[in-house]
Amino acid sequence: MMALLNNSAMEFQALTSADWNGGAPMLCVTAGIILALLAEVLPGFKPARHVAFLASLCAAVLFEMRILGAPQGTIFQGTFSADRASALWGILFCFSGLLAWLYSRRYYKEEKPFLAEHDILMLCSVLGMMLMAGAEDLLTFFVGLELLSVPLYSLACFRRVRMESVEAGLRYFLLGAFAAGLFLFGTALMYVATGTISLAGLRETGLDSSLSLLGVALMASALFFKVSVFPFQFWVPDVYQGSPTPVTVFMATGTKAAAFAFLMKVVFLLPASAAGILSIMAIATMAIGNLGALIQEDLKRMLGYSSVAHAGTLLLVVTSSLIGDPQAGAPLQAALYYMAAYVFTAAGAFGMIAMLEGSGEHFTKLESLRGLGTRRPLLAGALSIFMLSLGGFPATGGFFGKYFVFTSTLRADMTVVSVLGVLLSVVALGYYLRVIMTMWMRPPVEGQAAPSAYRPAANFATGLCVFFVLALGFAPGWFLERFF
Amino acid sequence: MSVPTEHLVILAGILFSIGVAGFCLRRNLIVMLMSVELMLNAANLTFLAGSRAHSAGGEPMLEGAVFAIFVIVVAAVEASVGLALVIALYRRQQTVSVDSLNQLGDA
Repeated sequence: MMALLNNSAMEFQALTSADWNGGAPMLCVTAGIILALLAEVLPGFKPARHVAFLASLCAAVLFEMRILGAPQGTIFQGTFSADRASALWGILFCFSGLLAWLYSRRYYKEEKPFLAEHDILMLCSVLGMMLMAGAEDLLTFFVGLELLSVPLYSLACFRRVRMESVEAGLRYFLLGAFAAGLFLFGTALMYVATGTISLAGLRETGLDSSLSLLGVALMASALFFKVSVFPFQFWVPDVYQGSPTPVTVFMATGTKAAAFAFLMKVVFLLPASAAGILSIMAIATMAIGNLGALIQEDLKRMLGYSSVAHAGTLLLVVTSSLIGDPQAGAPLQAALYYMAAYVFTAAGAFGMIAMLEGSGEHFTKLESLRGLGTRRPLLAGALSIFMLSLGGFPATGGFFGKYFVFTSTLRADMTVVSVLGVLLSVVALGYYLRVIMTMWMRPPVEGQAAPSAYRPAANFATGLCVFFVLALGFAPGWFLERFF
Repeated sequence: MSVPTEHLVILAGILFSIGVAGFCLRRNLIVMLMSVELMLNAANLTFLAGSRAHSAGGEPMLEGAVFAIFVIVVAAVEASVGLALVIALYRRQQTVSVDSLNQLGDA
């Protein structure tokens, strides 16, 4: 877009076939948004909305698979990269949207008339994520970031009859808007100092003036807000707890993945001396997340803290990529594998809470899970698998995610940090195992009915998550060879 | 005689600081929204200053100007969603103070 405007003749440059191939997934999602909107306003087409939603996400995944097979390089005049990494991120975003959608069926009650808005806003967010993960200049990234955030503000507030939901939406909005301000001012300072906003241009000119370093610092803090890294993590448990649970599924998986995708891309902007601060931040994030989760009685809040801890682990990979892993592609691969495992695990865990909540609001409390193992063994089994994967237990996807992260940090000579990170992961097992113990070893609460297990969409989503968590845990080689 | 770029950046820095201070210190959600707008406008001013500073042959560089236009649009979008959220809060609590957001948190 920029290159197009910079031509002195300002002539329009036709799209090349690479542009079409690389942009196809985003076009599919855009088409889905338009069709879903049309289906809602045209009389007699209401059910077509679901078809539009599912078809656009499936088509987007297929086109991303095609990019995986034949990467298109940098497209749209150097503003977007359709390479293997962005295609893989894109697939993860589509799955995150799909799982959140499946878990949102039958979840809402008073809000039923507005479900069309819910679905359309979710698709907009997926589109924003794709734009973020592939952005090659800061303007494209900014548009993607806002396309992701603005729909999520409204989604967090979707159950507006409940004060908790309104509060979650407002908190998320205030911090998101503040972070956007930080990001923009940082970008503007870099632009004044260097005269470019494209990542390729910034890599060429380098950022050595104090003005541009201040800009990078502001931009990095905005990104840290989004990925919820210490000291910008305080909003996460509140927002995750207050938002409708299907929206939390989406926020915890997709948003986090999108912000980390871009963070991995712009980490070269940070000066090498920032590595020390980054590793301290990573360890502090893991400590706060894991210790905070230990004392929670509310499952959504506990998983919110656990998601903070996982962000800390991922920040370790960012650090190892900044220091320089001798195996050049390994940090990105580790981040992708970790995030892939996390998307399916966290979506499954939060999603099962959403499903249980359908049988009563009290099912967000840990206490309410007592005796689930004897009453609903399949549900309890699936939730146990997710908890084990979150804790990084062998034979689950979470284990290999952690394994790749810590081998990468060890190769980058971050021995002390790696040891601390592994120790903190062991602390985390404390609260994950507590959930499993509550389900299997304690008798049910007197007079509390067992939750209903019949919810086709949610059951299907849970099955999908279990399958991928176990597949990523049993056959990492197969996935690495074909996808990463 | 034109204003030097440094002056514009310093002015933008002051505006940005006022915005950050307002966001952190004020309790009224509407005022906090206005402070965010101030931060965004500081960024716009800086983009335009950069666009002029990096002009080639008397033509200002378009990247900065286009970025500023995008920011203006996005700021409008954010403000509309933000105000809608504030109205949702007012309907429930009859207040627009950020202190009324106290349902969530570690008990």
